[in-house]
Amino acid sequence: MGDPLMLARVQFALTAGTHFLFVALTLGLATLVALMQTRATISGEAVHARMTRFWGQLYVVNYAVGIVTGLVMEFQFGLNWAGMSRTVGGVFGAPLALETVVAFFVESTFLGLWIFGWERLNRWLHLTLIWVVTLTAYLSAYFVLVANGWLQRPVGYEMRDGHARLTDVGALLGNPTALLAFGHVLFGGLLTAGFFLAAVSGHHLRRRTAEVELFRKSMRTGLLTVILAVMPVVMLGAAQFGYLQPTKSGGGAKAAAAEADFTARFGPDHYRAPGLAQVAAGVMMLMWLLMVTVAVVALVMFPFRRWLERGRVFHVTMIVALPLPYVAMIAGWVFREVGRQPWMVYGVLKTRDALSDTGTGTITASFLLFTTLFAVLTCVNVWLLARFARRGPQEPGLGAGAASAPAPVMTPTF
Amino acid sequence: MEFLAVVMLAVFTAGYLVLAGADIGVGMLLPWLGRDQDERRLVIASFAPFFLGNEVWLVSAAGIVAGAFPGLEHTLIEGLYPLVVMLLAGWVMRDMGLWLRGRVDAPRWRGWCDGAIVAGSWALALAWASVLGSLLVSAMSGGTGLNAGTVLGLPLAALFAWHGAGFARWRLPEDLAARAARVPVRYAVSGAVLVAVAVAAGSGLSWSDAAAEGSALSMTAVTTAAVLPLLMAAQGLVWWTFRGRVESPSYL
Repeated sequence: MGDPLMLARVQFALTAGTHFLFVALTLGLATLVALMQTRATISGEAVHARMTRFWGQLYVVNYAVGIVTGLVMEFQFGLNWAGMSRTVGGVFGAPLALETVVAFFVESTFLGLWIFGWERLNRWLHLTLIWVVTLTAYLSAYFVLVANGWLQRPVGYEMRDGHARLTDVGALLGNPTALLAFGHVLFGGLLTAGFFLAAVSGHHLRRRTAEVELFRKSMRTGLLTVILAVMPVVMLGAAQFGYLQPTKSGGGAKAAAAEADFTARFGPDHYRAPGLAQVAAGVMMLMWLLMVTVAVVALVMFPFRRWLERGRVFHVTMIVALPLPYVAMIAGWVFREVGRQPWMVYGVLKTRDALSDTGTGTITASFLLFTTLFAVLTCVNVWLLARFARRGPQEPGLGAGAASAPAPVMTPTF
Repeated sequence: MEFLAVVMLAVFTAGYLVLAGADIGVGMLLPWLGRDQDERRLVIASFAPFFLGNEVWLVSAAGIVAGAFPGLEHTLIEGLYPLVVMLLAGWVMRDMGLWLRGRVDAPRWRGWCDGAIVAGSWALALAWASVLGSLLVSAMSGGTGLNAGTVLGLPLAALFAWHGAGFARWRLPEDLAARAARVPVRYAVSGAVLVAVAVAAGSGLSWSDAAAEGSALSMTAVTTAAVLPLLMAAQGLVWWTFRGRVESPSYL
């Protein structure tokens, strides 16, 4: 526990991991909710409107954790990794700046308007809002992956007096390690949302709750999403192997060459990625195999309404399958990030040199504080998500708004 | 270019302090403005539609620091480590209290959430007061990092409460607003004071040393300036939609 480098790394891993668990669903579910609301707005059918409210409510419950973990992550760069902003901040900071100003600002402002503006705004304007929220969420993911992609494969910069300066904006924004990862994450998010819809719908259909039509439609949406996303996600994942760092996948002549080069320039070190990276890659691929199996089942079941509504084994399968995309994504990130070690910026800056020189005590205190805080938040929010999902669409807090909420009894105080 | 970036950072920091400063202040005053849970829900509804759009001003300000002034990121954030941790912890607590309050229908749950909102708002205001105080003292003496200003600045937290009272005065229903009106305050005045403190605090920082070299600085500054009208319009739409006094509880 006493090693500040390890503490700072684990803290970042926990923050980013928690962030991504919730963000992945946010990305995918926003898209599906936007599609549901589009159908509801065009068709005017009550069932689509109720679907939008029910899944929208779960989207909002899920969103809150993504926000607060994201905030802490943004500041953690400055807190724990000051060496990074000192050396490469001149490049790495730019996509983060664009993310906050161009994407997140709009996303957050319009999400507030979407949540609280139900029944107050014109329905077409209200529909536009959720689409803007969805697209800016994608834009946000893109910019964050530009920053991360640059850590994996630094391009478009030059080092001068020990500081990186950005020389080629196009190379930074068009970095294949960013673009491919963005596509991979985008479909990963959709896959997660697809499994989420299928699992929650499976629960209700299995319990034979009153909402058969709503959950049959939701099940269909979920299955279709899974079917459509499961192949692109693996193709965009595989395409990234073309840009894989030689030391990440261990062994081979290329890895030995890279190792020799690093040793010549930076002195001896463990330049091969830790074994954990390979294990994580294996877990990710195994999860995908299981997901593609479920997708085949989904493809078979899809046209048969009776099976969708009554297939008990099928319902249980979909409920049990819910963790698959989550495990795959966390494993994928472990592969990507642990596999880059010992580098913070591959071939440029070592992780240990990026650490702030605040004392162990300070880093330990912040580690304990945020780990506790996030553990509590994650538990509470997972519990709430499950609770709202189980309760079904009877009490949609979202959009019920002022109209149906009982007016508070105001007692005159003066 | 550097000047444009400083102006953009000033705009976003000022935007945060004026807009989010008010909802932080209302959070600090929650036990006084709302005397039971129903009243407190109404007090929260006064800023609920805005708080998401308010806190992003700080997220963007931090983004501009990262993109245009990476040198500041480590002197400031690393130098003021304990304060930034307190600020973040307060922010997270407050936000979770707000998000979670309406999720479970039980008085004890709401009591806990109200506690988190109040404690988080106070922590946030005190952390900001300390950060601003530290910067003000550095501006006078040179150098950044923790200094006497972190303690001397603490009374600045009262500014947030004062500003929050000004906001509550025109957003809450008449009878609740009367409680806020016992404090002599105008939203515009307290907002202007907050901006003045922030500008004074920023005046002592050595911007040229902290600025990014190469195209990162111009890309950040120009993009921010270009999208600013759009961002203001988006925020304007929120304010226009939820104008006037709040009369009934909202989603939170």
